[in-house]
Amino acid sequence: MAREKIYLEEVFPSPFMQLWGIFRKTPVAMAGFCCFIFLILLAIFAPIISPYSPVDGNLEMILLPPAWHPDGDVSYLLGTDELGRDMLSRLMYGTSLTFGLSFIVVIFSLVIGVVIGSLSALTRGIKSSFLNHFLDVVLSIPSLLLAIIIVAILGPGISNTVWAIAIVFIPQFIHITRYAVKEEFRKDYVLASRLDGASNFRILYYSVFPNIVERLMSQATLAQSAAILDIATLGFLGLGAQIPLPEWGAILANGLERFYIAPWTVYLPGLAILFAVVATNLVGEGIRHALKLRKEN
Amino acid sequence: MAVSTMSFKPTLPLLISAFVSLLTGCNEANKLSLSERSIIYCSEGSPETFNPQLSTSGTTTDAIAKQLYNSLIVYKGQNNILGPSLAKDWHVTRDGKKITFYLRQDVRFHQTSYFTPTRLFNADDVLFSFNRILDKSHAFHQVSGGQYPFFQSNEFSELVEKVEKINDFTVRFILTRNDSSFLANLATDYASILSAEYGEKLFIENTPHKIDIQPIGTGPFKLKDYRVGSLIRFYRHDLYWQEKAKIEQLVFDISPSKTSRLTKLLAKECDVSSYPIAHEKIAERSDLLLESITSLNVGYFGFNTKKQPFDNKLVRKAISLAINKQAIIDTVYHSQAARAKSILPKTSWAYDSNTPELGYDPVRAKSLLEVAGYPQGFTMDLWAMPVQRAYNPNAVTMAKLIQADLKKIGVKVKIVSYEWSTFLRRLSLGEHQSFLLGWNADNPEPDNFFTPMLSCSASENGNNRTFWCNEEFDQLLQKALKTTNMSKRKSYYAQAMAIISEEMPLLPIAHSKRFQARGTDVEGDILSTFGGISFYHASKTKPTSEPQNLNEPNKSKKVSN
Amino acid sequence: MLTFTLRRISLFIFTMLVLTLLSFSLSFLFPGDTVINHSGQINATASELVQLNKAYQMDKSIVDQYGAYLTHILNGDFGQSMASQSPIRNEIIELLPATIELSLVALLIAMVVGIPLGFIAAINHNKASDNVILSLAMLGYSIPVFWLGLLAILVFSIGLGWLPSAGQISLLFEIKFVTGIQFIDILLSDSPYKWQAFSNASAHIILPACVIALAPATIFIRLSRAAMIEVLAASYIRAARAKGLSFQQIIFRHAIRNALIKIIRHVGLQFANLVTIAMVTEVIFSWPGIGRWLIESIYQRDYTAIQSGLLVLSCFIFIIHILTDFIYAALNPLARGNQHGS
Repeated sequence: MAREKIYLEEVFPSPFMQLWGIFRKTPVAMAGFCCFIFLILLAIFAPIISPYSPVDGNLEMILLPPAWHPDGDVSYLLGTDELGRDMLSRLMYGTSLTFGLSFIVVIFSLVIGVVIGSLSALTRGIKSSFLNHFLDVVLSIPSLLLAIIIVAILGPGISNTVWAIAIVFIPQFIHITRYAVKEEFRKDYVLASRLDGASNFRILYYSVFPNIVERLMSQATLAQSAAILDIATLGFLGLGAQIPLPEWGAILANGLERFYIAPWTVYLPGLAILFAVVATNLVGEGIRHALKLRKEN
Repeated sequence: MAVSTMSFKPTLPLLISAFVSLLTGCNEANKLSLSERSIIYCSEGSPETFNPQLSTSGTTTDAIAKQLYNSLIVYKGQNNILGPSLAKDWHVTRDGKKITFYLRQDVRFHQTSYFTPTRLFNADDVLFSFNRILDKSHAFHQVSGGQYPFFQSNEFSELVEKVEKINDFTVRFILTRNDSSFLANLATDYASILSAEYGEKLFIENTPHKIDIQPIGTGPFKLKDYRVGSLIRFYRHDLYWQEKAKIEQLVFDISPSKTSRLTKLLAKECDVSSYPIAHEKIAERSDLLLESITSLNVGYFGFNTKKQPFDNKLVRKAISLAINKQAIIDTVYHSQAARAKSILPKTSWAYDSNTPELGYDPVRAKSLLEVAGYPQGFTMDLWAMPVQRAYNPNAVTMAKLIQADLKKIGVKVKIVSYEWSTFLRRLSLGEHQSFLLGWNADNPEPDNFFTPMLSCSASENGNNRTFWCNEEFDQLLQKALKTTNMSKRKSYYAQAMAIISEEMPLLPIAHSKRFQARGTDVEGDILSTFGGISFYHASKTKPTSEPQNLNEPNKSKKVSN
Repeated sequence: MLTFTLRRISLFIFTMLVLTLLSFSLSFLFPGDTVINHSGQINATASELVQLNKAYQMDKSIVDQYGAYLTHILNGDFGQSMASQSPIRNEIIELLPATIELSLVALLIAMVVGIPLGFIAAINHNKASDNVILSLAMLGYSIPVFWLGLLAILVFSIGLGWLPSAGQISLLFEIKFVTGIQFIDILLSDSPYKWQAFSNASAHIILPACVIALAPATIFIRLSRAAMIEVLAASYIRAARAKGLSFQQIIFRHAIRNALIKIIRHVGLQFANLVTIAMVTEVIFSWPGIGRWLIESIYQRDYTAIQSGLLVLSCFIFIIHILTDFIYAALNPLARGNQHGS
C-alpha cells in the first residue's frame, strides 16, 4: 500500500488524457463534441422518443408546414410530408440510419483496418510492397465513386450501401495504421521494450497502440463525416436506402418533388446532414488541434 | 510561374465583366426572334420508336404521332365527330363490310437530309402502311420486332380481309364482318400513314429498320435530330398540305424528373411542360398558365394473374378490398380525379352507374386472405411506373400508400421501378407480380378500354399486363362490336364490367384530368381529348423570355399590392 | 526526365491492365450471363449468342477470355447498352466531353478561388481572417453537394432568374457535334447565333461548375494554407527577409512560387474527388455528361454500360493524375528522381 503512495506523485497522464485535457479547453471543439454525443444518443433512442411513426402517415395532415409557420401545427413541430408523416420523427429515425449507421460502419472498418494494418506493418518484402501499391491505387479512388461502383455490383439498398462504405474505408484505416505503427516501431522506447524481450504483439498492444490511438481517432472522424455524406448521397441518388426508409438523403430526394410548395421537406434533411457533418468535423478538428498543441509542448 | 499566378487576379474581374457583357448580349433582337419562332416542350420520357404503329405508350404517341404523321381520318371538334384528314371523304356499304376512302391529291411527304420524296402521297402509301401490319409476309412486317400492339389487341388482321387499291387516290378496306369500332380505330394516332417510296428506298439500301428510327410522314413537323434521353428536334414541314405550322422549330426537352420539369418551367427554360407538379406554385405565377383537359382514361392497380399468389381470385379481391381509394385520390390526385368504379369513365356513353364497386373493407380483406390460405399474409412486389401520366400523376406515392394499406392486412410490399421503356418491356414479359398503370383512350369507343387492356389477344402480345384471359368476357366484347344497337352494346359492356368486378384482374382507381402548364406567351391548343398532343396550332406571342421584362411584371405586381 | 517518363508510362500501362481486369471481372460479378454482360445484347438470338461466345472466346480459358475482351476494348468496342441497344462507344463519345468540360471549369474555379484564399489565410496565420477563412472552408466542406445544388437553383435560377438551371445550353441553339466540348463546338459552328450561343453556354456552366468547385476549393484552401505556412517558415524566406526585401516582394517573388509547386502535386488526387462530385451535380443540373448517364445506368441495371462507363471514367481520372504528375515534375526537378507511384 505504501508503495503506491510513493509513486502516485509521479503518475503521468497518458497521451490520451493529455489530449483530452487540451481538447476540453477548446470551446468550439467541445461544442462539436456535445453535438456529436447528442446525435449518438438520438440515434440510439430515436424509436423511444420520436412522437410518431416514421413510416405510417396521417392522411388528414398532409404537407403541414413547421410549427413556426402560421399554418403550422404544434403537434407536428417540423411539419409533415406528402403522406402526412411527421418530419421530426422521420429525421429522428434518420439519425439512427444516416448518422448511426455511418458511426457503426466507421467503427467496424476501424477495427478491421487496424488489425490488418498492424499485422502488415510487421511484414516486410514483396508482400508489403504489393500491399503498398495496392493501397495507393485504392486510396486514389474517391470514396463515393468506389461506393457507387460497389453498390452497382451489389444492387441498391441500405445494407449494400453500408457494406460498400465499409469496404471503402477499410483500406484507409489499414494505410494509416500501417504507417503509424511503422513510425512508432522506429522509436527508441520500442527498442527499449524489445531489449526487455517483449514480443511484437506485446509491444503493439502496450506500447504502440496508446500512442497512435488519437491519430486513428482523427482519421475516424474524417471517415465518419465522409461516411455520412456518402450514405446521404447514395440515398439521395436512390442507390442507398429504399422507400420508405427515413434516411436523410432519401427524405431529401423524396421531398424534391414538392420542393417549391413544401420547401421544408428539403431544407430540414439537408440541415440535419449539415449539422451532423459539421459536428463530426469539429470533433476531428479539435483532436487535430490538440494533437498539434501536444506536440508543440 | 509567378507572373502567371499574379495575372490570375487581374483577369478575374475581366472574365466576370466579359460574362456580364455576354449575358446582356442575350437580349439582342436575333435571339428573341429565335425563341419567338420556337417552342421548347419539356416532355416526360423518350419515345420508344418513331413509328406510332409500333407502340401504345402515351409518351411515344405524344412525341411523334400528331407531329410527324397524319391518319386517314380524325376526330374533330367538341363533339368528337369523325372528320377528313388524308382521306377527304369515305363511304361505308350498308353491310358495313366495305369501306372506301377517297384520298387527298395534294399531300407531300417530309423532305429531310435522309430522304427526298419524288411523288405526292397516294394509295400506295396507304396500302404500304396497313399491309405492313396485316400481311405477315410483307417485307417490313418483321422489321422492329413485328409487334403492333394496338392492332393486335384489336385483332385487326382477322377483321380486315384485305386493303385494295381502286386507283391512285382511292382505297377500299374489305372486312370479314361488321365492326362498329373500325372507323374509330382508323382515326387513332396508331393508324398513321408512312411513305411507301421511303420504304422502297430503305429496302434497296438494305436498312429497313431505319423506317422506324428516321421517320418520314406527312405531318406538320419533320424530324431534325434525336438524342436518346436528351432531346427531339423538329423543324416545320413547310409544304404541309394544310396551312403550315406557326412555329418553325419544336424541341422536346426530355426531362423524366418531375422536379426538373417544374424547375425548367419556373426558370422559363421550357415553354410548355407535360404533367406539371405543384399546381399551387404554377397558379400563383402570373406568367404561367395551368390548363387541364378531361381525358378518357383510367388509372389502375393490376395483378399478374399468371403468378402466385395472384392467380387466386380471392387474393386479388382481398388486396383490392384493403385499398383506400379515396385516400389515394385525395393524396395522389389532389382530389382532381373521379373515383373509378370500373374501367369506363363517366364521360363514356357506355358508362353504367349500376356497376358494382368493391368498397374499402380491410376486415373483410383480412378474412378473405385467410380463406385463400394466406392467414400470415405474404410478400409481393409492386411495380410503380416511373413517369407521370394523366391517369397516374405519381405512381410511387400511390405505391407507398398501397404499401401502408396492405401492411395493415399483413401483406408486405416491395416497390419496384425502372426507366419507362425498360419498365414497359419487362411488364410485357410478365416479370412482375402487381403493377400500377393506366390507360388513355385513343377514341371515344368504349371498346378501346376493354379490348386493348383486358382481352385474351392483348394478353398474348403483352399489352394486357394482367395476363388475364376470360372467354365469357371476350365473347361479350365481340358481341358488342358486331351490333350497332346502342342499348344492346351498352348492356354487353355492363356485363363485361360486372365480370371485371367479380374476377378483379385489376382494381380501377381513378379517372383523372390531364394537366399541362405553359408560359402565357404560348398560344393555341396543344392538348386533345384523344391520343397524343399536337403543336400544330401552337404559336408564341410577344417575347417575354427577356430577363429584364420578366422581372418587371413581378415588381409592378408588388406595387399594386 | 526520360526515366521519369518511362516509369510513368509503365505505371500507366500497369494501371490500365488492372482497370480492364477489374471491368472484365465485373461481367462475372454482375447477375446474368457473362457474355451478355460483356456485349449488352440482351435480345440476342441463339445463333447470335453462338457468335458472341466465339467473339469473346467464352469456351477457352479465362486468360483467353480476358485477351478477347481486351481486344474488343482496344478496338473501341464496348458492346451495346442494354437499355437503349445503341453502341456504348457512341454514347460515351457524346457524353464524356461534357463531363471533361464541366470538371475542368470547376477545377479552374476551385483553384482560382481556393489557392489565393489559402495564401491569405496563411499570411494572416492565427489572425481573425485566418480563422474566418478556415471556418468557411469547413462549412463548405460539410455541405452535401446535392443540397447545395438545389439551393443554388432555387436562389439563382428561380428566385433571382439570373442563371439557367439545367443543361449545357438552351436547346434552341443547334450546335453541331464536333469535339463535344461545347465552347469549342460553338466557335467552330457557322450558326448565325454563334455569340448568343456562346454566352448562353457560359451562363449554363456557371452554376453547376461553382457548386462542384466548392468542396475542392475548400481543400485547396487547406492545402495552399499549409504549403504557404511551411514555405514562410523556410530558411530561404528568412534569408530574404534578412536581406531587407519587403513583405510583398517576399510573397510574390518567392513564397507563392514555391507554395504553388507543392499544391500542384495534389491537383491530380483532388481531381478524382471533383469528378465524383460532378457525377452527383450532373444529376441535379441535368448536365448531359457521363456521370448522370452512369447513375442512370445503375438504375436501369444496364451492366454493360456500368462496366464500360466506370472503365472510361477511371481512365480519365488516371490520365489527369499522370498529367499533373508530369507538370509537377517539369516544374520541380527534385521530383523527377526518386518518386514512387503515389
